[in-house]
Amino acid sequence: MTHLRRLQRATGLAMAIALCLGLAACERTPAPSSAPQGFAGLGAEGDGFAQAGPNQRLRFPEDHGPHPDTRIEWWYLTANLEDDEGQPLGLQWTLFRQALMPPTERPEPATWSADQVWMAHMAVSRGDTHRVAERFARGHSARVDGQAGAQAAPFRAWLDDWELSSRRSATHDESFGHLALSSFAPHEQGTFGFQLALDAEGPLVLHGESGFSQKAADGQGSMYYSQPFWRVSGDVTLDGETRRVTGRAWLDREWSSQLLGPDQRGWDWFSLHLADGHKLMAFQLRGGGEGGGDYRSGTWISPDGETRALAEDELALSALGESRVAGRDVPTRWRLEVPHAGLDVEVSAPYAERWMPTSVGYWEGEVVVHESDSGERVGEGYLEMTGY
Amino acid sequence: MHTAFLTLLSHYRRHPGQLAMLLLGLWVASALWSGVEAINASARDSYARAESLFTSGLDGLQRADGQPLTRDDFLRLRRAGVPVSPLLEGRLEAPDGTRLTVIGIDPLTLPGDSAFASTDNQADNRATLANFVTPPWQTRLSPDTLGAFGLDLRNATGATPPLADGQRLPALSLSPALPPDTLVMDIAAAAELLGSGDTLTRLVAKAGQLDEAPPGLALTRADTQLSPGQLTESFHLNLTAMAMLALVVGLFIVQAALGLALEQRLALLRTLRALGVSGWALVGLLALELLVLGVLGALAGIASGAWLAQRLLPDVAATLGSLYGAGVSSDLRLPWHYWLGGLGVTLGGLLLAGSGVLWRAARLSVLGLGQAQTWRTGFHRQLRLMALGGGVAALAALALWGWLARQPAGEGLMAGFGMVGFVLLASALWLPPLLAALLAWLSARLRRYALAHWALADLQLQLPRLSLAMMALLVALSANLGVSSMVGGFRLTFLDWLDQRLVADLYLQPPVERTEEIHAWLTERPEVAELLPTRRREATLVATGVTTGAAAESPPEETSLDRPVVLYGITPGVRLMPSWPLLDTLEGRDAAWAGLAAGEVFINEQLAIAEGLAPGATVTLAVPGQRETRRVLAIYPDYGNPRGEVLMATPRLAKTFHAPPRSVGIVLAEGVSSEALGRALNARFAQGSDALQDQRSVKRLATTIFERTFTITRALTALTLMVAALALLASLLAQARERRRHLAPLWALGVPRRRLLWVSLAQLGGLALVTGLLAVPLGIAITAGLVGVINVAAFGWRLPLHIFPGEVALTVTTAVGVALLAALLPALRLWRASPRALLAEETPA
Repeated sequence: MTHLRRLQRATGLAMAIALCLGLAACERTPAPSSAPQGFAGLGAEGDGFAQAGPNQRLRFPEDHGPHPDTRIEWWYLTANLEDDEGQPLGLQWTLFRQALMPPTERPEPATWSADQVWMAHMAVSRGDTHRVAERFARGHSARVDGQAGAQAAPFRAWLDDWELSSRRSATHDESFGHLALSSFAPHEQGTFGFQLALDAEGPLVLHGESGFSQKAADGQGSMYYSQPFWRVSGDVTLDGETRRVTGRAWLDREWSSQLLGPDQRGWDWFSLHLADGHKLMAFQLRGGGEGGGDYRSGTWISPDGETRALAEDELALSALGESRVAGRDVPTRWRLEVPHAGLDVEVSAPYAERWMPTSVGYWEGEVVVHESDSGERVGEGYLEMTGY
Repeated sequence: MHTAFLTLLSHYRRHPGQLAMLLLGLWVASALWSGVEAINASARDSYARAESLFTSGLDGLQRADGQPLTRDDFLRLRRAGVPVSPLLEGRLEAPDGTRLTVIGIDPLTLPGDSAFASTDNQADNRATLANFVTPPWQTRLSPDTLGAFGLDLRNATGATPPLADGQRLPALSLSPALPPDTLVMDIAAAAELLGSGDTLTRLVAKAGQLDEAPPGLALTRADTQLSPGQLTESFHLNLTAMAMLALVVGLFIVQAALGLALEQRLALLRTLRALGVSGWALVGLLALELLVLGVLGALAGIASGAWLAQRLLPDVAATLGSLYGAGVSSDLRLPWHYWLGGLGVTLGGLLLAGSGVLWRAARLSVLGLGQAQTWRTGFHRQLRLMALGGGVAALAALALWGWLARQPAGEGLMAGFGMVGFVLLASALWLPPLLAALLAWLSARLRRYALAHWALADLQLQLPRLSLAMMALLVALSANLGVSSMVGGFRLTFLDWLDQRLVADLYLQPPVERTEEIHAWLTERPEVAELLPTRRREATLVATGVTTGAAAESPPEETSLDRPVVLYGITPGVRLMPSWPLLDTLEGRDAAWAGLAAGEVFINEQLAIAEGLAPGATVTLAVPGQRETRRVLAIYPDYGNPRGEVLMATPRLAKTFHAPPRSVGIVLAEGVSSEALGRALNARFAQGSDALQDQRSVKRLATTIFERTFTITRALTALTLMVAALALLASLLAQARERRRHLAPLWALGVPRRRLLWVSLAQLGGLALVTGLLAVPLGIAITAGLVGVINVAAFGWRLPLHIFPGEVALTVTTAVGVALLAALLPALRLWRASPRALLAEETPA
């Protein structure tokens, strides 16, 4: 039977790898279409997908889970931490979901069939050091046992062993208030990652119109809420060395089928913890505003969780200076004004090297807030900038 | 200068035959050479494509108990933070019978470039990925796989061709970097086509990422895999040697033609010199002439070589595929350096062949009386040099043989080829002195028979011209005999061995999960006399030990290794034991079989040769979590298997190494038809028809593969022989005119034409007969070298030396036949010519 065996012997591993080379090698042809689709395709039309709209009511805990009928969704956590020696650290953990097709075109949930692609990013930064990892997974919305996924109660969002999940078994909303976050990734300089406990010290915050956050003057937008009141403690590992840390975190939840207008190039997004207990979410979408200008919006959050949506004219943003990062000019110093709250601050990144060299690249890093007049430090937070 | 060049060339206008011969020589030499090189280049391109995948190599994981992995294993590992990716691999058949490897991947977890990344156009990448992973999916394949579906480049992209079983492939998308006959698609699409359900073939991880195999799994490191390039190296060396031979034989023709052309132009050259053309200018002009002819011949040769390669490549590809599992495209892919290389080799060879001519032209004396006689004195010196050169070559062959004899078996492939090459060279060089001596001796004996004496003396005069052609004939004949004896011997041995190994009437390949059930059912059936289940598992040979002396108590000397081997389980039953061939045993066949049943092992010849193991040695075999030392009781032949194999009794292999079940051999009871059992099996278990194969079809398949293996070898040797015949014919034709001049006086003296004709035929036939007879021992020596040295080094097994009297007779007959055929044409011209015309030719022009 030697001959049969020989005939049947598969060509082996060689081929496996062929695949990835094949994929990389043969797909260099640029698309003929030049229609604008916004940053990372997020402005592509959402035909056939469920659309976010001003009249949808958010329901919890259900809305902590995934919304596979919409095109994109994320669970986005950033944290400003400090170690035992008082050194600042930053971290980011994000799970992205993207639907591969509208709900009507979903394939049968066979073993490997997929209607969703999941992507997770994690980053740890300290001083000049910035470590980033990225992972992908396929999933089918009709199956809950996938390599990646999310569920509402008890809350859990994961990709592989990167997981943000409830520390409580309670099936109530309560389960979302006490989370554990664990994520580790290998690196040449040594493993990096974190194992943290998160406890909410305030309520969920709905942005925009009870959770519908308009993203362009023509009315499209996303469903968007946050939990900005996390108190964090745990361990962060960087270059193989583990430190005890404490600090604050901010979790954004957002889903949409057409986040950006077709002409919007990207955004600048701020989540700030102010020293007096207020929080501020502010963003501007470049392009797509009235007359092709920028579109700005935000939420002013009081220490007890009261919100005030900020209209375009209630928020001023201007770039003060740029840094050269990863071959791009990125504005890492901003002036931010919320006149009605008497806020006039300069937001700047102490370390500019926070480019995320992921498959979709963007800038994401810690910022500090100083009062424009006195120069006094009045807060910290995170800044995300895309489309540069 | 211009005029001088044209004057030189004008010679060929008067003798178009010589020009034709020159070009023919160049053409066949470079056609064969470049044809084989094209095959090699094309195969190397295929390996490179396969290996470029290896170099970024992935480690593989499979279950240690041999059961297939499932999606749950994948999820469990990912959830534990182990970065593995699922891979599904299977075979599908194209409508034309081509077996295609289907690889299903999950691009989202596959290590390497992320499918998302790698270009700036992200929206585009997303669309590509989405198309790849969602229905109706895509099939990635190399353009040279299209032929299997009867498609060409224009209509390929987006086509959804059907497979042999009627299923349709997802839309095609071309990916030239993929190896031939390989389809890559999303794992979901592959699972649907292959009907593999929840199972997957293996999990892969970036090389070196895992320090050890996760519990229950076996880790195969990417670098322990043999690359197809390494495996097939010897095969290509074989081809190259064959092509080299053809090139040399072709250049013999060229040499002969050039020598003749110079000889006849000596007067012209002198005139040119006398007219003031300098010696160096003359040499330059001749070199230029060589260059022009060389480029013409080489271009024609390379073009025909590519054509030849195109015809042979499907066979080569099939051979390599079945021998080594190496995927070789059956479409020719030639890199630019192939064309340049072919031109270079042909021109280089031409220069070598023409160097003698140029040398003589350079030393041409203006006043010298260039005549055949000077040639003849020169020839005597040449004969001495040849004898000397032959002696040196023979010594070199002897030295290589001595060196090889001291090497461990299986070493020295290049040296083996070198030895055969030197033997050929020595014989070729010795041939003219030998013939000259023979003629001189005969001529002394036959002094009293005037005509015979004349014929021998005349032959002596012809010898300088004929010797090169005869050398070519000798080399071609003996190489042909050597190769055909080797192939014939292999064929005999192989067919015998197949008969011995395939003892069951039917072979069943049940799905792993149903093996037990089917086995139990078969045991109950009255039609079944005996079941011969097999098992198989990959393992590592980690150490070998040789017991020194007779004292079995003394611990064996251990050698540490890390060699992948196959553990193969057979059932030593009443049907199998008597016929299974063994090459060597420790204490006889019966003791060996008893020992095997008790848990000891046999090893195949390949492994024995590679590791220098003999019966009585010990082997330590390791699978993940298990390490066992066993004694080698016997060595068995395993023709055609490139890998080392360790044989155990199936139940032992199952128990000790948890090897998964493979095919089951079914021995039928007397008078039972296999069809009836097949139907019953089908009705009970709904087996696919291809799961059950009868012995005849297995044998047919094996024999087909075997025949294809040697198609190319046969084709090449036959072509070489044809070239040699051409060389002989060309030499004879070239001197036909001169021959007539020599015969005319005899005729005038009253020898009848018929008699003269016979003398001519006898002269050449006799010469060829001697050459043919010399080729016989030489051919046998080459066969011995091939089966005893080269085969062992190249494939790992030794063949018994078979001599086929039929082949020998054919060789001698071919030699004489070719010579007679070549002599006939000039002889017939002589027959037709009138005596007057002949005598007229005698007067110097």
